[in-house]
Amino acid sequence: MALLEVHYQLNRPVRLEARFQVRGFTVLLGQSGAGKTSLLKALAGLLPAEGTPFGGLPPERRPVGYLPQDLALFPHMTAWENVAFPLKGRDRKARALALLGRVGLLEEAHKRPGELSGGQRQRVALARALARKPELLLLDEPTSALDPLTKHQVLAELAALIRKEGLPTLAVSHDPELAGLADWLVVLEGGRILQEGPPEEVLAAPRTASAARLLGFENLFPARVVEGGVEAEGVRLRLPLPPWARPGGRVYVGVRAAEVIVVREDRPPPPENVLEGLLESLYPQGLAYRGRFQGPLALTLLLPRHVQARLHLAPGRRIKVVLKPRYLHLMPGEAKEGL
Amino acid sequence: MDPLFWDALFLSLRVAALASGILLLAGAPLAWLLAFRRFPVKALLEAVFLLPLVLPPTVLGFYLLLFLGPEGPWARLFGASWAFRFEGLVLASVLFSLPFALTAYREAFLALDPNLLEVARTLGVPRHRILARVVLPLVWPGLLSGTLLAFAHTLGEFGVVLMVGGSIPGKTQMVSIYLYDLVQALRFAEAVRASLVLLGLSLFLLALVRALEGRWRSWRSTTS
Repeated sequence: MALLEVHYQLNRPVRLEARFQVRGFTVLLGQSGAGKTSLLKALAGLLPAEGTPFGGLPPERRPVGYLPQDLALFPHMTAWENVAFPLKGRDRKARALALLGRVGLLEEAHKRPGELSGGQRQRVALARALARKPELLLLDEPTSALDPLTKHQVLAELAALIRKEGLPTLAVSHDPELAGLADWLVVLEGGRILQEGPPEEVLAAPRTASAARLLGFENLFPARVVEGGVEAEGVRLRLPLPPWARPGGRVYVGVRAAEVIVVREDRPPPPENVLEGLLESLYPQGLAYRGRFQGPLALTLLLPRHVQARLHLAPGRRIKVVLKPRYLHLMPGEAKEGL
Repeated sequence: MDPLFWDALFLSLRVAALASGILLLAGAPLAWLLAFRRFPVKALLEAVFLLPLVLPPTVLGFYLLLFLGPEGPWARLFGASWAFRFEGLVLASVLFSLPFALTAYREAFLALDPNLLEVARTLGVPRHRILARVVLPLVWPGLLSGTLLAFAHTLGEFGVVLMVGGSIPGKTQMVSIYLYDLVQALRFAEAVRASLVLLGLSLFLLALVRALEGRWRSWRSTTS
C-alpha cells in the first residue's frame, strides 16, 4: 500500500505539529478549528510551514492534488475544460475526456459545475487533480458537499476510485462516518497527533475521552476505578480492567450509542450492568431510532428499527438497558480534560 | 441641430472614451493591489484616490489648473501646458472618475473566490495563465461595468472640465458646458433637444451596466 511519512509544523493561523503516516486512503479526524484545513493548505504549499514532504516548494511545484471543501471548480468552464485546465498540448481535450472516463463522468463532460450534483462535482475535481499527476491527494471535508441521503454511497465510491488509482490520500474531516472507509486513521487534537492506526483499532480503543468523542462515542462519563470495574456517577459498572487502571484512579468510561442494549423482558436477565429508567425521547434517524434514556446514568441510544418495533418502544416507557462489559471502553482521565 | 452641439458631444465622447480606457488599464491593476495586498500607508492612499468623490469639483479643477497651467510644475517639467487643451481634459476626467472605477473594479476582484486562485496554483499552472483563463473571464463583466460607469460619469462632469478646459467652442467645450451656455443665452428649445440626447445616452449606458451586472451575478452564484 502506498505509504508516505508526513511531518509538518506550522505557527499560523494555528500552532500545530503533526507527524503521522499516510497509508492508502487515510482519514484524519479533528474537531472544527483543530487546524485540519491549515494542515492541508500547508501540505499544498498555500500556507507558510516547515516540513516533509515538499517543504519549501511553491504550490506550483508540489505534486499534490488539493480538493478544498467547496471543490473550487471553475464555474465558467465545463467539466472537461476544468479537467483540461492543468494540461498542455494539442491532445488536452482527449486526455481530459479520458480522465473523466476514469471517474465515470464521460457523459457529463460538457456540463458546467452548476449543473452537476455534489458527488459528480467531487469526481470532476478529482479528475482535475489527477490530471496534474499528483503523488499525494488532499481532501478537505469530503462529506460536507454531499446530500445526507446518498452521502455514504458517494463516499464509498470515491474511496474505491482513489484506491484504484493507488494514490496516497489524506482526507480531513470531523465526521466519524468517514473513518469507517479509511485504510488508516489519524486523530488530531490540541495541535498534535493524538493517535494513529488501522481504523478498527483506533475506533475501538480511542486513547482519550476527547478522541473518543471525535470517534463517535456519544456516552462518556468521568469515573473512578474500583474492584472489578468502575464507579461512574454513583453507578457501579463491572468490566475487565486494563493493566494501567489502578484502584481509586480517575478514568473515563465510554460506550457507543449503538452499543447500549435494551433488555428484552421475555429473556433471562443479563448478569450485570443493568440500568432501569425512563425512555425520555425517541425519534427516527434514517433507518434507525435515536433515543434518550434517563436512569442512574443518562444515555443516548441508537436502535435498529426492528428492535424498536419488536419491543414496542415509545417515549415515556420504563425500560431496562444493559452496558455489556466488552462494549465499555476505559480511558485514562486527564487532569485538564474539558468535556 | 447646432453643429456646435455635435462638436461638444463628440469631444465629450472622445474624452470619456480615452479617460475610461486609461482607467481600465491603470485602475484595474491598482484596484487589484488595493483589494489583495497589504502595505504601509494603504489607508491614506485609498483616501487620496477617493478624494474626488467628496471634493468640490471646482476645487479639484482649480488645483489641476494650477498644476497644468503655463506656470505650473507640469509645464516646467514637460515644457508644455496642458491647461485649456484636450489632454488636460482627459487627465482631469481620469482623476475625477477614478473613485467610481476603483470601487467597481475592487468589488469585482473581491467577489472572486480566493479558493479558485489557490487551487489553480496547486494545479501547477503559471500565473499568467491563471490570470488569462480564470481571473479575467470571471471579472470582466465587473471591470466592464465599472468602466462604463466611469464613461457615463465623465460625460456629465462640469466643474472640473470647466476649470481645466475653459469653454472654448469646438476645442474644449464639453457637452455639459455647451448646455449650460445655451441656457445662459436663453436658447431653451435647443437646450431641450440637447438634454434629451444626453438623457437617452445616459439611460442606455445605465441599462448596459445593469445587464452586465446581472450576467456577473449569475457567474458568481455558480462559484459557491
